[in-house]
Amino acid sequence: MDFTIPEEIEILRRSLRKFIEKEVLPMEEKADFDPDEGVPQELLKKVRIRSHDLGFWGIDMPEQYGGGGLNTMGTVIMREEVSKYFSSLTQSIFGGPEGPSKILLAGTEAQIQKYLVPVVKGEQSCCFALTEPNAGSDAASIETSAVRDGDEWVINGLKHFITNGPYADYAIVFAVTDREKRARGGITCFIVEKGTPGLSTGKIQRTMGGGDSQCELIFEDCRVPHENVLGEVGMGFIAAMTFLGGGRLNIAAGAVGMTEKLLKASVEYAKQRVQFGKPIATRQAIQWMLADIATELYAARNMVYHTAWRIDQGEMMVKEIAMSKLYATELVNRAADVAVQVHGGMGYMKELPIERVYRGVRALRIVEGTSEIQRFIIARSLLQE
Amino acid sequence: MKIIVLMKQVPDTETKIQVKPGETAISTDGVTFVINPYDEFAIEEALRIKEAKGGDVTLITLGWDKAAEALRTGLAMGADKAVHLNDPAFLTNDAHSIALALSKTLKKLQYDLILCGKQAIDYDNHQIGVRVAEMLGIPHVAVVTKLVLEDGKAVAHREIEGGTEVVETPLPAIITCQKGLNEPRYASLKGIMQAKKKPLEAKKVADVDASPGEVGQAGAKTVVLTLTMPPDRAAGKVVEGEPEDAARQVVKLLREEAKVI
Repeated sequence: MDFTIPEEIEILRRSLRKFIEKEVLPMEEKADFDPDEGVPQELLKKVRIRSHDLGFWGIDMPEQYGGGGLNTMGTVIMREEVSKYFSSLTQSIFGGPEGPSKILLAGTEAQIQKYLVPVVKGEQSCCFALTEPNAGSDAASIETSAVRDGDEWVINGLKHFITNGPYADYAIVFAVTDREKRARGGITCFIVEKGTPGLSTGKIQRTMGGGDSQCELIFEDCRVPHENVLGEVGMGFIAAMTFLGGGRLNIAAGAVGMTEKLLKASVEYAKQRVQFGKPIATRQAIQWMLADIATELYAARNMVYHTAWRIDQGEMMVKEIAMSKLYATELVNRAADVAVQVHGGMGYMKELPIERVYRGVRALRIVEGTSEIQRFIIARSLLQE
Repeated sequence: MKIIVLMKQVPDTETKIQVKPGETAISTDGVTFVINPYDEFAIEEALRIKEAKGGDVTLITLGWDKAAEALRTGLAMGADKAVHLNDPAFLTNDAHSIALALSKTLKKLQYDLILCGKQAIDYDNHQIGVRVAEMLGIPHVAVVTKLVLEDGKAVAHREIEGGTEVVETPLPAIITCQKGLNEPRYASLKGIMQAKKKPLEAKKVADVDASPGEVGQAGAKTVVLTLTMPPDRAAGKVVEGEPEDAARQVVKLLREEAKVI
């Protein structure tokens, strides 16, 4: 077995590090914003455009649509690397739900050109509108409906917790088109452009992690042309689940990178913080906390890498993706807790970024499938085998 | 315009350098290697000249197998081809031997301009560019922060103590590059993939018409006797007491112990 990371990925990783350290972090320092209030959109866009010029934005999208065509292994290593910084602007290097979305590849060539390509270029951003007040983990129970009227569909309903909702140029919206069939052929995916009559943003939904990028989307007799149906009528739910499955490994990789950064910060602080006449790193209580996180980090990283490698060999890795997402996101929460504990009072202060990371990583056990949903997927797969 | 860049692979500046007892070279265990940062300025300058005036950029390095990675990184930045002096008989840290191997290689190539870093950040010899120029019998300008090319000549700005010297030289010439010359680009994914298809030629001692006795360690003019880590810094001394007495004591220590005043 050869576990060597390919040379081209190492070269790319170094380019990414230089980009972050020479451009993104100085930009963030100069801008001096409070991430809890929200990251200035113009800065996110600036990073996005520059990241596109350097080939990072859309790196895993197909080359014919302006992407980098990078494989899964390379993508997870980049996602890991970009997460090794206490920074808010680095999120705009590869992007999240606002960025190029593989679900759009299910569209027609015209839809891809009109909607996906501008996002791959970093010129536009989108949002993924599935979740509703009564449909979280049970996404098939959404109530937003779409009714066909000639060449148009009329959408009614309420979406919430929609990341980038306030700023998106268009939304990828899921609505029930057949109440009987629901998940089995009764949910359809639509592209709804910003400014379409009947679409409005509701209240901004502030989160524990800070920022202003989540909001409600309200659909009131919102009419969209039939050509804006993404994929086949009724097949939206399956597309959504496939898409979410793909994104989970990136979340796991990000959690691995963040864990490494938290561990490194904790080790450094433990070595220099002197109490009772000695650095706290000389105390077994501290050492064991660090050793446990390091051990789990080793496991989590190898889970993510191995899963990615097998995906690149053409295997379906539903169970292993769920395992990686579950393990890595639970781990980063423990690592953040240890980091706060090792840093003590300083860890709790806003002066250091630790407390913000502690709050931020809590979301990772919930988004794109809660830890419980991941366990459900793993168990289902075990019981079917 | 044919531009050649002489470059070296060095330990990453963030690497923690270690020397094993009795060894005369640093330990390479767990060390990541990068292009010498001053050579990156040389590569960037070469690429900018090529983009402005046309031509091609050839990279040359002397080093172990792994140095090919640095060449491929340079190719990924946009250079056209690379030459790797890859033969155990080339390997040495001696500036004379390395410069001789490089100059023998260069004698078989065409060039209008040769660029390299002002120094490599590992052994800090500051020798290669200057020595190669002498061996080739062409002019050099060292520690350059601005370079303007005109017909058959170059105008180079170089840093000197307290000012800037502007030097004109006919081409071909060797320019050694200093920080401030430019901001090197990063290798992009596209560039990295294209680099895989670019020519990277490995050369042995015989390929550059050198005899084994004159290059590498055999041809070295210097010998590294020992290599040791700097001693750990001793703990500082805290002077206590009333300010007046303490100040007197500090002055006494500076004069008698530290001997700096």
